[in-house]
Amino acid sequence: MVVGLLLAVVSAGLFFVATATIWWTLHAWNTPETLRATRFGEADGAHELSFSLIVPARHEEPVLEHTVLGLLASTHTNFEIIIVVGHDDPDTAAVAYRLAERTPTKVRVVVDTHAVKNKPRALNTALPSCRGDVVGVFDAEDQVHPRLLTHVDHEFRRSGADVVQGGVQLINFHSSWYSLRNCLEYFFWFRSRLHLHARQGFIPLGGNTVFVRSVLLREAGGWDPNCLAEDCDLGVRLSSQGARVVVAYDPEMVTREETPDTIGSLFRQRTRWNQGFLQVLRKRDWHALPTRQQRLLAWYTLASPFLLASVGVVTPFGIVAAIAFKIPIGLAMMTWLPVLPTVAMVAFEVVGLHDFGVQYRLRVRARHYLTLIAGTPVYHLVLAAAAIRAVWREFTGRNDWELTRHVGAHLPAPARVDRAAEDAA
Amino acid sequence: MSTEITSAANEIHAATLTTATSTKPERTRAGSGSRRERLFALAPRQWPLAVALTVILGVQGWNITNYPSLSDDEGTYLAQAWAVRQGMGLSHYTFWYDHPPLAWIQIAAVSWLPELISPEGPAVAYGRLLMPVVTLSSALLLYLLARRLALPRWAAVLAVLLFGLSPISVSMHRQVYLDNIAVAWMLAAFVLALSPRRAFWVHVCAGLAGAVSVLSKETMILVTPGLVIALWQGSHPSTRKFSFVGFACSLVLISGLYPLYATLKGELFPGAGHVSLIGASLYQLRDRTSSGSIFTVGSDANDLLRSWLFHDTVLLVGGTLAVVLALAVPRLRAPALAGVVLVLVAMRPGGYLPAMYVIQALPFFALTLAGLAWVAVRMLVCPPFKTLWRWIGLAGTVVAALLATAAVVPRWIDGNHRALTASETSSYAEAAAWIRGNVTHPADTRIVVDNVLWLDLAIAGFEPGRGAIWFFKLDLDPAIVLPGGWRDLDYVVSSPVVRRDAERLPLVAAALANSEVVASFGSGDGRIDIRRVNQSKE
Repeated sequence: MVVGLLLAVVSAGLFFVATATIWWTLHAWNTPETLRATRFGEADGAHELSFSLIVPARHEEPVLEHTVLGLLASTHTNFEIIIVVGHDDPDTAAVAYRLAERTPTKVRVVVDTHAVKNKPRALNTALPSCRGDVVGVFDAEDQVHPRLLTHVDHEFRRSGADVVQGGVQLINFHSSWYSLRNCLEYFFWFRSRLHLHARQGFIPLGGNTVFVRSVLLREAGGWDPNCLAEDCDLGVRLSSQGARVVVAYDPEMVTREETPDTIGSLFRQRTRWNQGFLQVLRKRDWHALPTRQQRLLAWYTLASPFLLASVGVVTPFGIVAAIAFKIPIGLAMMTWLPVLPTVAMVAFEVVGLHDFGVQYRLRVRARHYLTLIAGTPVYHLVLAAAAIRAVWREFTGRNDWELTRHVGAHLPAPARVDRAAEDAA
Repeated sequence: MSTEITSAANEIHAATLTTATSTKPERTRAGSGSRRERLFALAPRQWPLAVALTVILGVQGWNITNYPSLSDDEGTYLAQAWAVRQGMGLSHYTFWYDHPPLAWIQIAAVSWLPELISPEGPAVAYGRLLMPVVTLSSALLLYLLARRLALPRWAAVLAVLLFGLSPISVSMHRQVYLDNIAVAWMLAAFVLALSPRRAFWVHVCAGLAGAVSVLSKETMILVTPGLVIALWQGSHPSTRKFSFVGFACSLVLISGLYPLYATLKGELFPGAGHVSLIGASLYQLRDRTSSGSIFTVGSDANDLLRSWLFHDTVLLVGGTLAVVLALAVPRLRAPALAGVVLVLVAMRPGGYLPAMYVIQALPFFALTLAGLAWVAVRMLVCPPFKTLWRWIGLAGTVVAALLATAAVVPRWIDGNHRALTASETSSYAEAAAWIRGNVTHPADTRIVVDNVLWLDLAIAGFEPGRGAIWFFKLDLDPAIVLPGGWRDLDYVVSSPVVRRDAERLPLVAAALANSEVVASFGSGDGRIDIRRVNQSKE
């Protein structure tokens, strides 16, 4: 009976966690009005702000050129690109310097000489050189839409925002069973969930396509050089200071990225994020949020990788235990409660995949839907393992940066051939 | 078809959009003071509804304990609710998946109230006091549904009056039937599906209400195609996919708790020595004695139809025609489809037709009738004619309305007069009182009764199940062990239902044959005999 009651209470808790997560994940589709509000407004075409776009690049020589050329194709008239390379990475540096020579008015190179390198340190190295009103961050493998800056310019002026977060989307859903789920995670996060956070005044920012007013960024002291989720941390610190954050998502205008190239790579990336979230949670900057509701959302969001991992792991155990211990029928049914939102979430993911296909004019076939459904349990196991590993690493003091490798699977075919040629060279 | 539905949806939202956009900021920003002001501002416009609901409450509630006669089913459901309250499980005997249990679980939450009002009983008659609350909720929800389908206020009130005052409604809604509770939840599901905010979570709640309805009475599943149409009309193309999946998830997953319960108890599949959900469903759908076709004179189904029509032809015949015609009116299509499916299933040649089946169709009959009245009025009053023709149209409408009223009202007054004055439950009350007064050791007495009296005896101190024995279980439940057969019984109470079913139940028949009447209440076929078993008889 005691076992039964315990199981029932835990199950009810997990049910609550999983249901709340669904509710927040689907925020953008709550009403037709909320969905409409997630888009960029119609840009007026004026270019009144100047942008400094930081592109940290480490061992990214295959993709860097393509990315920078893409940024140079922007329709905005007033921006500079600052490529940050490491002093120990001559190959990437060579590509960077070649680009700077070709367009000296727009592209500059900054060398990061930190002994231990990571993304926040690279960004901080570039920050003093930024001359624009707004600092933007892009990753070396990003595919950026030419009209993005024009829209961001307008969004800053229209809303009076301090921070604008644009959409980021993994595109290569066809690459593998997990890239399919990975793409969908991004879709739900940028298409929907982040808008809820912007509305609630607490937002863990994304790692790129994020634009911050330079003055504010310098006041905040730039990025935390020791945090594994510097983007999330910056968002939390800025929100806690009451910065106004606007999120805009437009399928046309999202920054396109690729998923990690192996499941191991995904596992390490996820470990890093989870550990980063944990670090942000422990830094307690979110305690400064003004309302209890915001603090609760902050706590829940930062802890959610671990809460969700426990849903996936504890629920099957609960069900087995409920049968093994022969607990009363009412309590036994309670242990099944978390299964309801879990099944519902898979259904919503199927719809999400359909919508993703429609929005990006990609052909999603029956086998993709089947892969999505069949891959669910394994993917959740991987996420749960990454969550556990993150906790273990954090409490054993290991916080080195595990970099994600990029091969350009999200790029259109010709670009990939180019890079293959470069690789060969 | 889908374009028509969409146009209907647009029409509906054109009519309701103003509320959607104007209430939202108030809901988020305004304090409770302005909300109260808004409520008062609404009040004068709602007085026709308030009057209608009051009249319905009066007609439904007055004389409710005396009319109509108490049915064994009411006794069963109230006894099961009592068992839930006592912690005995889902039933006073082994729960055999005859119906999903949610309706009597809901009854259990409140059925202590009537017992508090009248501890002397008869328990089933007083249990009916809960029903006007259910009827009133359904009536209110029907009004909201009509309004959300963009019917004008007068048509919505008309629907409520048809629904609440038809003699068949009065007779059926007074009884403690699962269908009444299921209908209220299904109407709630329709109302939520057509919410002007078109919010995702409201659509999820619509699925939830639908699931509660189906778990209250499984036949409600027939209405879900209508509900799906309502959701289609009530959702916006940009968010429809998510709304539908949210709706379907909550409907299916919550309904799925019932088979889950059966599975966890090891009672999903039929097997030796235990009851099962699938076995019971097969019995209800396949093996149960067919009522025949409603079109074959002399069949059970035809008799049932006649008994329904005896109460009221207007709502039943008119409603059947109305649901078919209303399929052509986009904004009435959802309730029309719900009604049509119910009618078609009732008309199928074989199968079993339950006495309370008609309850499920009544709100849809009433709503489509009122809706068609509105269509007719609009056609007559608002054609692109000159003023003279418009006056003629208006006059024609008034005359038609007067004629319809003149035809319907006398019959309904007659039918409801009976409901308000007749006394058809007194024999049960007297029998219960006699047993309480004359059987001195209830705890040691074995008495066979029908389910109407069972609850009274359980409350009076007879041992539930083995002391107070539901006659049906005497032959069928292996848990009742009587080594001496009928000689172990002390009394058998012979009511019409006991006499009717005794031919199939040998032990009950033997008990009746070997007993003598010690008290009798009522007369003719409806009488109730209390018989003492002649235990010494050879």
